[in-house]
Amino acid sequence: MSFNYILGQLINGIKLGSIYAIIAIGYSMVYGILRLINFAHGDLLTVGVYTMLVLMGFSGLPIWLVILAGCIVSIMVGMTMERLVYRPLRGSGEETTLISSLAVSVFLQNLISMIFTPQKKAFHLPDFLTVNHSLGPVSLSTINILTMISIVVILIALTLLLKKTKIGMAMRACSDNLAASQLMGIKINNVVVVAFVIGSGLAALTGVMLAGEYKTIEPLMGFVPGLKAFCAAVLGGIGSLNGAVLGGFIIGIAEVLFAGLMPSDITPYRDAFIFFLLIVVLLVKPNGILGSSEGGRS
Amino acid sequence: MKKAIVSVLLATTLLTSGLSVMADEGDTIKIGALFNLTGGQASIDTPSYQGFKLKADEINAAGGINGRMIEVVSYDGKTDQATCANNAKKMIDVDDCVVVSGFSDSNYALAAGAITQDKQVPFVITGATLPDLCEQIGDYSFMVPFGDDTCAYAAAEYAYAEIGTKCYMMIDQSMEFTKTLAECFQERFEELGGEIVGTDNYMNGDPDFSAQIDKFINNDGGAEFMFFSSVPNDAGPLVLQYRDKGVELPIVSGDGFDTPLVAEVAGAKSYDVFVSTHCSYTNEAENVQNFVKAYTDAYGTAPENAFAALGYDAMDLIGQALATVEDPTDTAAIKDAIEATSDFKGVTGTISYSAESHKPDKTASILELVDGEFQFVTEE
Repeated sequence: MSFNYILGQLINGIKLGSIYAIIAIGYSMVYGILRLINFAHGDLLTVGVYTMLVLMGFSGLPIWLVILAGCIVSIMVGMTMERLVYRPLRGSGEETTLISSLAVSVFLQNLISMIFTPQKKAFHLPDFLTVNHSLGPVSLSTINILTMISIVVILIALTLLLKKTKIGMAMRACSDNLAASQLMGIKINNVVVVAFVIGSGLAALTGVMLAGEYKTIEPLMGFVPGLKAFCAAVLGGIGSLNGAVLGGFIIGIAEVLFAGLMPSDITPYRDAFIFFLLIVVLLVKPNGILGSSEGGRS
Repeated sequence: MKKAIVSVLLATTLLTSGLSVMADEGDTIKIGALFNLTGGQASIDTPSYQGFKLKADEINAAGGINGRMIEVVSYDGKTDQATCANNAKKMIDVDDCVVVSGFSDSNYALAAGAITQDKQVPFVITGATLPDLCEQIGDYSFMVPFGDDTCAYAAAEYAYAEIGTKCYMMIDQSMEFTKTLAECFQERFEELGGEIVGTDNYMNGDPDFSAQIDKFINNDGGAEFMFFSSVPNDAGPLVLQYRDKGVELPIVSGDGFDTPLVAEVAGAKSYDVFVSTHCSYTNEAENVQNFVKAYTDAYGTAPENAFAALGYDAMDLIGQALATVEDPTDTAAIKDAIEATSDFKGVTGTISYSAESHKPDKTASILELVDGEFQFVTEE
């Protein structure tokens, strides 16, 4: 059990964690405002990736354009979902929207299965994105490095958005108290749409990273990462962007170290371990690591 | 009064719809096709279903069975045991299927088998290979493929003779199939004098193997090759991720690796991959080449893997048995007819059943992945 071995496993964990972190940011924004656990969030990732797969079929399109288009389609689906399903149900209780989001998730998964067949498909990004760069014992692909950089950029950009802009202020207000914000004249619909746009776009972006790392895609690929990202958001403290990122990294690293360091008989139970970890953290800190108290919420 | 009218109307609708169903029954023989067209099993079940349908269409085009057309009833099992069992129930209770067939994995075959045995309807299993599957389900079940023991023994014998004597195993712990395959492989490999120098595990559907790969690189125990006990949807990512991290050892696996996804996903990195499976389409035999041609004409693609031929053989076998039965609604007679199958020449080999054994004694083909195509190496 050398130092390099542990370091290698840590890097594996950070790679995985960075993917959970970005999905968790989107999850956290939507949950923070609507208290909506959106199970379909992970499936927006799948929608984005499949759009990109189709566009990559047209040779000649530059990859950035393909990724951008994937994000736009994913955003449009996210907005449609909000408009058609969640907006009519707003105010009807968390259970109703939670169950509805499961329905939306099943719908999207099956729609993609019908269009593209349920078979796994190969997904190959251009070589310059997947080539590995070695630095001593550490080996990272271009897309891994871009993922890390984008987390920093996204965090800074969103923090600025929340602290410095009017819509950001409205979002924070809605997150604190939806009813009072509405009474104060904040257009809640706009705030919610912005949260969905950001969340859906980030989900599609994560799709590229996930598909680029594993080079295969399938209609159900977004669901489990979506669940783990939700855990990450809860673990870090729901509503807190830094918390979502922190939670993402903790879950990614814990998952990989569990598989890498434990005896091989129990390594298959890494997912069970993650969910167990979530329960333990919530028992000790019910609001997550960086979360604030829910007391003021009405 | 209103109520009375409504109930009369309802009763007439029910009656007439019942009548039309009965009229249908006279013309067609309904056969249930149980396959997982979505989820982890899809890449082997879909070709199998297509092979099954192909043979049914061929039978119908040739005039059906004693003048009756075959109607294939199919519901997606979604790679979910509960759904699979419900589908079997629906096919028998609602659709009046006289035979059901399908599944490439024992988990799903067992789930549906509990129903078919209970209802005394013959169940012809197309691709599930648990060695004692038919004993577990009961006397109404039949296997078209060989058992995992045959498959794994062939892999172990080939690997020991041609590849190496030290093996590292990576096993999917979520499936009965992968666990049995690994056990049988280890048993024969050690019997021959080989050594298992290490074992690691994962769960089906987990896309990330980085932790296990680093663990292997850190301590490979002097392995000369690897045995992956995997189902199809993990096969490609497994090969790719190990190769990406610089592991270049030969890879050996069972019929779960018999999927085009290995070459599609791993591309140029899918070298030195050896698979023990049901048949080889590079076999020159006439019936094999006829099947390849018919499948390619029907679906625009060559058979994806051996499961396509297994599905085709299953329908063929059912058709031949049904042709000898006087009353195609008498499931007990159909069961006896299937049991009487002897020296049936299928694409995947010769099948004979007896009252004692509903599992055919077939040989396994070893294939090697060369430039993205499975090439026949030898038969064990």
